Amino acid sequence: MIGAWISAHGQACLRAFKRMGASPAASIISTLVIGIAIMLPLGLYSLFSNVTAAASRLNTEPNVNVYLQVAAKDDDALQTEKRLKAIANVAEVKFVPREVALAEMKRLASMADLLNGLDTNPLPHAFTLRPRATDEASLEQMQKELLALPKVDAVVMDFEWAKKLKRFATFAERLVMLLGAVLALAVVFVTGNTIRLQILTQKDEIEVSRLIGATKRFVRRPFLYFGALQGALAGGVAVAAMAALIWWAGQEVHALTISYGSDFQLQYLNAAQIASIIGIGAFLGWLGAYLSVSLYLRSARTV
Amino acid sequence: MITFSNTVKRYPNGFEALKGVTLSIAKGEMVAITGHSGAGKSTLLKLAAGIEAASKGSVLVNNQNLAEIKETGLGVLRRNLGLVFQDHKLLFDRNAFENVALPLSIAQFPRADIGKRVRAALDKVGLLDREKAHPITLSGGEQQRLCIARAIVNRPAILIADEPTGHLDQSYGATILDLFKSFNQVGVTVLLSTHDELNLARLKCRRIHLEMGRVAT
Repeated sequence: MIGAWISAHGQACLRAFKRMGASPAASIISTLVIGIAIMLPLGLYSLFSNVTAAASRLNTEPNVNVYLQVAAKDDDALQTEKRLKAIANVAEVKFVPREVALAEMKRLASMADLLNGLDTNPLPHAFTLRPRATDEASLEQMQKELLALPKVDAVVMDFEWAKKLKRFATFAERLVMLLGAVLALAVVFVTGNTIRLQILTQKDEIEVSRLIGATKRFVRRPFLYFGALQGALAGGVAVAAMAALIWWAGQEVHALTISYGSDFQLQYLNAAQIASIIGIGAFLGWLGAYLSVSLYLRSARTV
Repeated sequence: MITFSNTVKRYPNGFEALKGVTLSIAKGEMVAITGHSGAGKSTLLKLAAGIEAASKGSVLVNNQNLAEIKETGLGVLRRNLGLVFQDHKLLFDRNAFENVALPLSIAQFPRADIGKRVRAALDKVGLLDREKAHPITLSGGEQQRLCIARAIVNRPAILIADEPTGHLDQSYGATILDLFKSFNQVGVTVLLSTHDELNLARLKCRRIHLEMGRVAT
């Protein structure tokens, strides 16, 4: 029973290869069209993942600055430092004494004259914190905790640009998903149309087969293999084209980043990604074939 | 083995091809359906093969009501029938061997068995030496015999043939009907439709005459 099942699938697969070989020009053109359709979202995905990788090399960690009241003494600063270290989300605490802050400001030429004219130091003691969790919710919770501490006057969080980057990443991700979905539909339609043309040339065989006992599953099987095979090949075409594009653009990008003191290089797709793309291509091809044959069998006269 | 009970077949355009046919064909019997064009002969055979569905009444084959059989079951049923079509329904891009092998491929026979059975069937109809020939190169009579070989290759218990002598001359028609008689003599139930009154008289089988979609005799 299992042997017969394997044999039936083997024959269907063989017939799919034969059908593909029977009209090589049409098969190559269809495969290239599907490959290009897969390559477009793949290219965007690759661009997006490379931008993300490049961004992750930048210091995007938000700094949190805590300013004490101007009247706060050295002892208050000491107590506050202990309290800051006790907050769960605080990974590192750096104390900036008011004297050091003033000295740094005086080093700025534009501020020196103005500060030299003052009798007293107007700057408060301050702390620069490095948070453990940098998501928006954790930082907002942390801000509340810091403001509740005694002698704390203000808390300034520098994470707006990180939020912008995150929004951009989310937008890019959604764009890739949307384009991917639209082009996945295109792959299904292109494969479906290829299969529809094949069905028309094999209408007699299908009709006779149905009349002498072929089930719809039997009729459908070689077309499904054909669709899956074409989709997988198209996935391979998209991967190869993408690799060529990354190689071509990668040389320029590398030369550019070296001039900025970075060794950043464009990433090629890894084995798991390649397998996924070929698998998705095969699935979309299979789906297109399934829909096309099912529609035909539903409309066919033979019961 | 095949039972029609008050069977009506009405087509979507309103034409009633069968108007309450009741008849029964026993196992091992050979029955010829006769009647003028449009009498309902082909429709009756299509209903027996499950190619068309009855509008009213029932059709039972091997005690199975065809109206109650699902798609897969219908496939199994047809694989156990031998069908000979008036227009042969041969595949012109395949040779004689491949045409006859088709039902065996569908029934998932092992490759070695397929070769033996196909050659046995071709031998039975006298086409063993034409196994590589494409249908286009065969005469009308040879095409009909090829169609019969395809019908018998599964060794079915029931053979259903629609006008198997329709396009043949008298003597060739006699050869074809003799072939059906020989299958019947080894226990195959044969149900065929024909206009060939002369050859039919020789066969000495039961005849059912249809007129305007009703059994006349």
